Amino acid sequence: MSAARTGPSLTLRTREAIAGWLFVSPILTGFLIFFVGPLIAVFYYSTTEWNLLSQQSRFVGMDNYVDALTANDTFWHVLGNSLVFAAGLVPLNMALALGLALALSKPMRGVVIFRTVFFAPVITSAVAWAIIWTFLLQHESGAVNQALSVVGVDGPNWLHEPNWAMASVIVTRVLKTVGLNMILYIAALQTIPRDYEEAARLEGANGWEIFRRITWPLLAPTTLVIMVITVVGSLKVFDHIYLMTGGGPQNATLVLAFYIYEQGFKFFNTGYASALAVVLFVLILALTILQMLLKAARK
Amino acid sequence: MIKRLIVATALCGAMGTAASAENLRFTVWTGSQAHLDMLNGIAEGFAETHPDVTVQFDTIPFGDYVQKLTLQLAGGNPPDLGWLLENSAPAFVEAGVLADVGDTLNGTDGYDYGDLSEPAMGLWVKDDAVYGVPFSTSPFIVYYNKSLYDAAGLETPTERAADGSWTWDQLKSDAAALRDADAGVWGYETVDGQGYGARVWHNLIPIIRAHGGDAWTDGTCRLDSEQSVEAVKLFHDMVYADGSAVPPGEQGDFFSGNAALTVAQISRVSKLADVDFDWGIAPLPAGPAGEAATIGQAGVVAFAQGKNKELAAEFLAYMTNKDNVAIMAAFFPPARKSVLESESFLSSNPAVTPEQMEIVAEGIETGSVLPSHERFPQIEAEARPDFDALWSEDADIQATMTKLCKDIQPLL
Repeated sequence: MSAARTGPSLTLRTREAIAGWLFVSPILTGFLIFFVGPLIAVFYYSTTEWNLLSQQSRFVGMDNYVDALTANDTFWHVLGNSLVFAAGLVPLNMALALGLALALSKPMRGVVIFRTVFFAPVITSAVAWAIIWTFLLQHESGAVNQALSVVGVDGPNWLHEPNWAMASVIVTRVLKTVGLNMILYIAALQTIPRDYEEAARLEGANGWEIFRRITWPLLAPTTLVIMVITVVGSLKVFDHIYLMTGGGPQNATLVLAFYIYEQGFKFFNTGYASALAVVLFVLILALTILQMLLKAARK
Repeated sequence: MIKRLIVATALCGAMGTAASAENLRFTVWTGSQAHLDMLNGIAEGFAETHPDVTVQFDTIPFGDYVQKLTLQLAGGNPPDLGWLLENSAPAFVEAGVLADVGDTLNGTDGYDYGDLSEPAMGLWVKDDAVYGVPFSTSPFIVYYNKSLYDAAGLETPTERAADGSWTWDQLKSDAAALRDADAGVWGYETVDGQGYGARVWHNLIPIIRAHGGDAWTDGTCRLDSEQSVEAVKLFHDMVYADGSAVPPGEQGDFFSGNAALTVAQISRVSKLADVDFDWGIAPLPAGPAGEAATIGQAGVVAFAQGKNKELAAEFLAYMTNKDNVAIMAAFFPPARKSVLESESFLSSNPAVTPEQMEIVAEGIETGSVLPSHERFPQIEAEARPDFDALWSEDADIQATMTKLCKDIQPLL
């Protein structure tokens, strides 16, 4: 009996497993080097007092966490700002995305153009978007307040009044990112069989009842995904804050991701910044798990 | 076989040459082609005595400069040389990341260390060690739109400076008179239009010093003093009482012709090359405490972790010798007394008249450098929300400045 006829000694299953690992190995290697490695490093650095500039480092255990959670009022203020940002952005973004998706998921003239218009900001440079909105939101000469003045409203100094700055950043961020959620909702809506709606109509259901009883429940998996990525994205917001307000006025828009950047790269408190990054990681992880559990409980 | 030997020998020769060549990496924040051409010209001059040395200038955008430089240092990929601003200098000196170049400077023939202005060297010298040499010691000056002044029939700041009536009150009054909302012309634009944010210190310190106040002296905050508060009130009135300053949340741009006055350094003259209005330069206005020229400074430093420390120090010495400082003076007012006092300095920039350059020279001689501190980034962060609180019509300025001092005093 020849070797060719008996075949290789490895089973098909093993050979497929090896091929599979070989195929994923490039991305797996990158994941380990650029994600898992730094993640472990950040946990370690968070237990040190490390000055990035002088490179002097010493182990301090949990001191950075204790300092952030008990000795530093700024941390709680910043954490509150991050939660306010998320609480403002997530419902607004999701409601607008769903509304746009419902309006633009039906066949009609020019629908592709409308979808493109609402999706375009997603692929627009964040820098350009922030700069343009900074101009539009100028106090006297900005287009927003000039438009408001036409209907007799004296608009505020949006980015320079503590009461308005956060709302301004949230709304401009929603307008920048809503297109992505809209596309996800449109894709999900297109998977719902038309038969369900037709059957419901034959039973006498109106539009609101069809949405509540059929569309919304069938969108639930997509809604969960959208909620998770929007919550995570809003807690990690950095670019809009950096470009539009720099954390001001009076720290009104100083959110956690921006605060971590300042501590690490402006004040060189890299150990403390690492501890804050771990807190942000744990917060995002907890919120994500919570959303998953709530979803599972509803089933 | 012989052919292989020849190729191998040639390769070894080439590798030998490559191994002896040195490359110095120099980080700068300018992207201006004129600046880079000038720097490359200096590097070519250095190559005359160091034929195997090349100098590569890496541009890092100004806004990210310190962060990216710090990451390069922390990441074990330090540049050999770099530029550094006055407000970063103390922290870098304190952290021990700068090389002491004192011996090289003093050991270089014809360097004439004593020619460097002693006050200008203040930030760069510590305990007999020399951690850098300022290449730009540039006072803030007033730019004004002469066309607008002439149209309004007002005496110009240059004329007022000559007769001694150029004061902050006068600037305020001029700015209010020249403000023309219908034509989209503002009165006074703060430094680079950033006087309520990134450049709030640059905006307020010249006014505060002209009133006899200061940021801090001998570790004590003075921003809550009567003089400092009076100065801030003057500027606050410009914003909210008479509308003579571009307020927060608005964009004015002197260099586009839609603001009558601004404060900047001489390097901004490059933005006036193609403007369609006449302009002029005047010293900073005087206040109740007299004239108070204020200087922004940047130095050339060599990094202690650099791979070619000795060579880097030699290039630093070459770059800041009398000849090269005279070349750089076209853009960057020097710290060398001999260059500063020379006729060639006054005519070094063709866009600036010798009389106008005289204003710069006087500012360097009499001025004081912007506040700096080894914990300046932390001070800046603590002060930011307090400064923000100034920018509302009904702000309690005394209370805000008192809180500002209370917040930053522990860091001083």
